[in-house]
Order: sequence, then C-alpha cells, then structure tokens
Amino acid sequence: MLGNLKGMLMTFLTSLRAPVTAQYPDARMPVEQRRMGFPMLLWDDNIVEPYCTGCMVCVRECPTQCMSATMKDNPKHAEGVSHRRKIIDVFEINIGRCILCGICVDVCNFDAIEMSYETELSTRTRNGRRMMLGELLERGSNWQEQSGWMPTSQRNQEAEE
Amino acid sequence: MTIAEFGLLNLWVSGLLLVLSVVVLSLIYLERKVLGRLQMRLGPMRVGPYGTLQTIADAIKLITKEDIQPEWADKRVYWVAPVLVFIPAFMVWIAIPFSSRVVVQDLDLGLFYVMAFLVLSIVGLVMAGWGSANKYAVIGGLRAAGQLVSYEIPVIMVVAGIAIFTQSLNLSYIVDQQSSVPFIIVLPLGLFLFFVAGLAELGRTPFDIYEAESEVVGGPFVEYSGAHWAVFFLAEYVSTFAIAALTALLFLGGWGWSASIQDWVGHPVGSEAIAFFEMFIKTYLVVLVIFWIRGTFPRFRIDQLMALGWKVMVPLSFVFVLLVAFATFYAWPWWVLSITNVLVLGIMGWYYYKRMHQDPAPFSIVLHSARKVRDAR
Amino acid sequence: MNQESSLVEMMINMGPQHPSTHGVFRMVLKIDGERIVDVEPHIGYLHRGSEKLSESETYSQVVTLFDRLDYVSNFNNELVFCMAVEKLMSVDVPERAQYLRIILCELNRIASHLLFYGTYGLDAGAITPIMYSFRERERIQNLFESVTGARMMHNFIRIGGLKEDVPTDFNHRVGELLVKLSIAIDECDTLLSQNEIFLSRTKGVGVIGAEEALAIGMTGPPLRASGVVEDVRATDPYQLYDRFDFGIPVGTNGDAWDRYYVPMEEMRQAIVIIEQALEQIESGPVIAQLRRIIRPPQGAVFAHAENPRGDLGVYLVSDGTNKPYRVKVRPPSFCNLQALKTLLRGTYLADAVIILGSLDIILGEVDR
Repeated sequence: MLGNLKGMLMTFLTSLRAPVTAQYPDARMPVEQRRMGFPMLLWDDNIVEPYCTGCMVCVRECPTQCMSATMKDNPKHAEGVSHRRKIIDVFEINIGRCILCGICVDVCNFDAIEMSYETELSTRTRNGRRMMLGELLERGSNWQEQSGWMPTSQRNQEAEE
Repeated sequence: MTIAEFGLLNLWVSGLLLVLSVVVLSLIYLERKVLGRLQMRLGPMRVGPYGTLQTIADAIKLITKEDIQPEWADKRVYWVAPVLVFIPAFMVWIAIPFSSRVVVQDLDLGLFYVMAFLVLSIVGLVMAGWGSANKYAVIGGLRAAGQLVSYEIPVIMVVAGIAIFTQSLNLSYIVDQQSSVPFIIVLPLGLFLFFVAGLAELGRTPFDIYEAESEVVGGPFVEYSGAHWAVFFLAEYVSTFAIAALTALLFLGGWGWSASIQDWVGHPVGSEAIAFFEMFIKTYLVVLVIFWIRGTFPRFRIDQLMALGWKVMVPLSFVFVLLVAFATFYAWPWWVLSITNVLVLGIMGWYYYKRMHQDPAPFSIVLHSARKVRDAR
Repeated sequence: MNQESSLVEMMINMGPQHPSTHGVFRMVLKIDGERIVDVEPHIGYLHRGSEKLSESETYSQVVTLFDRLDYVSNFNNELVFCMAVEKLMSVDVPERAQYLRIILCELNRIASHLLFYGTYGLDAGAITPIMYSFRERERIQNLFESVTGARMMHNFIRIGGLKEDVPTDFNHRVGELLVKLSIAIDECDTLLSQNEIFLSRTKGVGVIGAEEALAIGMTGPPLRASGVVEDVRATDPYQLYDRFDFGIPVGTNGDAWDRYYVPMEEMRQAIVIIEQALEQIESGPVIAQLRRIIRPPQGAVFAHAENPRGDLGVYLVSDGTNKPYRVKVRPPSFCNLQALKTLLRGTYLADAVIILGSLDIILGEVDR
C-alpha cells in the first residue's frame, strides 16, 4: 500500500502548484530568437526592390519541392539604379509542403529568404495554401523593421568598423 | 394517502430530481477541474466564467447528437438498457437523508432499500452489453457483470455489520448513533471495505476495466451515442454521489458533528440548513477523494480485480461481520472494535505489501559501469 | 471437431486506430476466452518511402528525411546518418561539435524516454503521468527551440558538425534544466514505479529471456532489461563517448517492469553524461570545412548509434555523385517488434496493451 499512498501524496502536492498551461490564444508562449517559422522574402529598402533575384538555388535545394519561381530582367538595372541584373517575377511557396527545415535560408546566395516567426497559418480559402510574392515580401519587410535586420555584407562592414 | 400528501410527495420527488441534476452537473465540472489541478493544468476555462457552464455545453452537445442504432442490435433491449441503469440510481435517493428532516421518505428499512436498488443497475449494464451487436460490448458487459456482482458481497456485508452494530436500518437513526463517536473510528475496516467495494461498484478507477478506453473502447457503452450515452454517464455520477453520501452517513457521522451549532441556532429551518450544509460538505469531500484516486492510480486487470474481490474483500467482510457480531453480543465497549479493526487492517496491509514486494532486491535493475564494459572489449 | 475449434477461438482486431497502439499499427489477435492464442501484426500504415526518396535527394536533404524516422528522437537519427557520411568521407569533426552533438542527443534521449513513460502510464490506465512527463518535455523542447529554431524536426546536425554554434547562454540554460529534470524524474518515479497496482500489472508480464532476445535481434532497453549488457555507447564508442563515465542499467527478469524501469534509469544516466560533457567542452569551430556540394567517394559504410529505442544502423552505399545510391536503415523498433509473437502467446488480452507498450515502438521507424 505504501507505493499507492506515496503516489497519492505526490499528486496532492502537485495539485497545490500553479497550473503550467497557458490559455491559447489569449496567452502565448514566448518566442525564441531563432525560431524557424514560415519563410519570407526580404526587401531592399535602399533600392526599393526585393533582394531575391530568382536564381532558383532554394527551389532546387528544397527537399519537398514546395517553391516555384520565375525571374525577369530587372528594369532598374537597365536604368542603372540597381546592381541586380535579374529580379524575381513570380514566387510561390506551398504552405502544405514546406517542412520548415531552413535549407533554403542556408543555400541562398543573396540573403534574400529568411524564416519568420509565423507558425499560425491555417486557412479557409481554397487556394490559401499558396503564399505568393506580395505576401512574402510584406512579411519580410515587417520582420525587417521589427528586428532591425541588416544584410551580411553590411554587418561585416560594421563589424570591421 | 390523500391527494394533498400525494401532491406533496410529488413536489419532494421533483425537487429531488432537480437538485440531483444540478448536483451532477456540478460534479462533472468539479471532476474535470480537480483532475486538471492534479495534472498541473487548468481544466475547463472557456465556457462561462472559469468554465462553469462547460457541463451544460456538453449536455447540449450530447442531446443534439444523432442517435445511431446498430442494425443488428436487439432494439428493445438496446433501448431499455439505459433506462434500467438510470432509474435505480435515482430511486436510491428517495431514502437518503441529508439532515434529519431533508429526506423524501424516511424509511425504517432505509439501508435495505438503498442496497436493493443499487444492485438493480447491473441488469441494465448486461443488457447494454448484449443489446449492442458488438464483440467489444459483449466482453465489456460480461466483465461488468462479473465485477459488479462479486463486489456486491463486501458492500452488503459491511452494511449488515453496521445494521447489527446499531440495531437498526434507519439511516437517520444510524447518524444519531454516531453523535459520540463517528464510525470511522469505531469501524475503520468497514470504511475501507465499503469505500473500495463502492468504487468497484461504480466502475471507477482503479476498477474501470470494463469501460477502459485503452482496451475495449467503452465496453458495454461503445455503441451508444448522444442522449443514450448521456443517460449512462448521468447514472454513473448519481451513483457516485450516492455512494459518497452513504459513506458520509454511515461512517463520517452525517450531520451530527455540528449538533452544538444546530442547538445554538435553535431556529428549525436554520439548524436544518446547517445540518444539510455539513452533510453536503462531507459528501463532497468523499467525492474529492474519489477523484483524487482516479487521478493517481492505474487500473487493475480483470482477473486481478476478481482475485482482489474474492480473495481479499469477501473474507475480510466476513471477518468484519463476525467482529461486529461478537462485539454487539457480548456488549464490548466500542474501542475494542476499533482496535480489532485496525489490527485486521494492519495485518492485511502488511501481508499485501509483502506479497507485492517479493523481489529480494527493491528493484531489479543493476547499474553496470560503461567504463568497465569498454575496457573489457 | 471443426465446429468446436471454430467456436473456441475469436478474432479481435486491435486496429490501426486504437488509443493504445503507439501509432498506426494493427494487431489481429486470436483469443480463447481471455487468453491470446496467436497474434498477427500488420505494419506499413506509416510507410513514406524514406529509403527510396533518399536515392533522389542530396545528402543535406536526406538529413531532413532522417529527422522524421523516429520522430521523437530527432537528433539521434540525424547523428547516425551524418556519422555514416563522415565515416565514408573521412571527415574530422571538430571536438566542440562532437560535445554539443552528445549533449543534444542525450537531452533528446531524456525527452524520448519521458514520452515513453507518459504513454506507458496511459496504457496502464493512469492519467496523470503523461501530464508530468510532457511538462518536462516542454522544457527540453523550449531549449531546443532556442538552439535550433524548431521544437522537433531540427535539421541541425549537419555533415561535418552542426549548422551553427549554440547561443551564448546555452551552458547556463542546460545547467538549470538539468536540475529541474532530476527533480521531475524522481517525481515521475514516485508516482508510478512502486505503485502496487502498476507492479501487479507489469511484474512477471511478458517475460523474454536473454538468449531468445539476442536471437530475435532486439537491442536497446528491451534487450538490456533481459539481462544482456549491450550498449553501443560502451561496446563500440562513437563521438567521444569513451571520455564519459556513466552507468548502464541492466534488468534481471526481462519482464515488462524491467523494460519500463531501464529507460527511467537511463534518463538519470543521461543527466550524468550531460554534466560531464558540459565540464569538458571548450570553444572552437563547430563544423568541418567541407565543400558546398557533398560528394563522398564511392564505397559503402555502416554506422550505428544508440538511439533511445535501440541500435539504429545505417548502411550507406555511395556511387560518387551528390546523391546516395542506397540508404538502408536498420530500425530498432522494427527488430524489437519481432518479439511480439513470442511475448503475447498465452497472455491475457489486457496484457497485450501492456506488453506492446513496454517494447517502446515508434511506427515512424518501423515503417519508414
């Protein structure tokens, strides 16, 4: 009987503690700095265009082939404003297929794609599982403002200084 | 019986039904909250303030669910089974007093009536198991029948023992007999037997093998949906409350502990209210202990359950009756009974402990050092 | 005669959807009253074609497939595959990376065993142990989120080391976590292990002897519970495990209780290992300098490691390109499951759930 009684004492003592659950969606657990949510595309404020040039490295390296992209000739390059010869035209990520592995971020040559903190992505529309370029860029620029992100080259420059 | 008496009786019974429904609602809510606290979580919180209306939401959901009947089920048996489980559970309450005047019918054979009606629900369970054309239901129903019938014996023996000790079957009289010493001190063995066998009667953990979710998913209730299942569920909680009330009446002194306060108040309604309140608190405390046990223990296997019933509980209940009979016949003082009961409990506990921990080592795991294993290669 | 035998035995299907088969697993039981006469396990409900898929994915992409094999011990699976490729390419993994890998893998072992403890309590009928154990798993998963970004499918252990270095407060956080975990493991132990009802459910149930277990090919806690001292970390040390001194819990009876208690002790030993690793770790690089595109030389290699469930082995055949030619996985749960027929014959129907739970299978591994 001793084991039984010890177990009952244990549950009784536990019941005196505060509950450890949070009532979602009123209270959410804190977000860690490195959280890998859904990918997003970053916006270059200086030149006012996306960082993404449409080079398709991330599309090729994705394990589940959840992205598709097309590139176009950059009109701003022709004007001499931007150093990017090509720029992204159409970009689509399938929410249902993305496994949030972060490989696209690792292989991107232009720091154009990052993982956001967004994980609440359920949808009620028929095509809601596709996220297109506009929304991706919007999430990216919001995140950039909030977190004060800067590209690697700028970061290295400032580190040298 | 005159029309007026009949009308008054109807009023009492309707009042009882109403009060019991509210009580059951509160019990279901309380169980979920208590289990939540035992598990470090909150329990229902969204529906109503702090989740108090959760049970009403559940009841609405259950009533509006589609009532599916299996095609090969025996229609009449299938339909009558919940009724046969539900009605005795409610009928028991006619004789259970909550204070010396708050009782529908203060029967002189109160205890006998309560025991007789508690047993009737077994038939309903077996019918439920048989009437649903389902292998799992039949297994569950037969398990239920075996378990419930075998655990009736300790319950009835303990009740017989108390009847011998107090020389009466009237529940109010038994409470009055406990004004000096509650029976928990005089007959602790009886309390243990009654409580454990009562838990087994209700089909509550650790004796809920026949409705175990992880094996026969639902047992005899597996084919019932919606309102039919709600009736079973309701009957279980009403029975739980009945067993808790009986424990409070027979062993915890009923409403006798606040006798001095009741005399001090003097006012008829006021003192009845205090007695009712005390009885209420005691019953709810016993119910809390039942929930606490549910939250802590795993469940017995059916053969272990039956072995426990027939090899431990039944002999102990006979010993209990013998002890009480001797004490009453020879007019021994009450503390003799107390000591003998505790002795029997102690011997049984020690024997059970020895059997469970037969291993020479307290646990049979040995730690080998990894370094030694590495060097040996 | 024929009529009698057809009346005696009944077929019960514990189907793919069942509250206690740990995943989608189907057992067709032939019972005689309450005794089980025969069992026919059906697997394959979770088959996702991981081995075939890995033939058309690059090595870095295959790591994500391995994450999802045994989906509660992600780091351990990634580690085995990366070890296989590193062995083939003869890569020197920096020491700091190896220490961090060990710390993360042992933390994952604790998380996996906590899940086993919780679900086993649920199989036996106790509803609180799972809440306690998942509370502790939350702590561990929060730590993982701070390190890798994901709570479960990390994709962090890369070929040659780790993806990136851990944050600066890692040592401090792990130290705090270990204190809380020790207390929690003791609490979980008090709640269930010596509970008389639990003892009567599991002691003497599902006994398998040492020779039979070895013959079937069991590894991991079920094998150790039968009395065989066999742990890949000690018998074939990999990744700096020969620098640690820890205990290997070995049972004596080979019943369900021993199979339940060996993981509990292993959790405590994992804490010992992590403490030693935290003392010995030094700063340095966390990944070896490799080319972007990983192209191992032609050849075949076998690498194995001690997963929480047993001995996970990977046989990797490379043909010189950037995609593997063949990846064969030897899952511990699949081999442990072979013992089901022997274990279940002659036991009660209610014991089937207890015995299956004590083998600690994860269907993601069994079916791949």
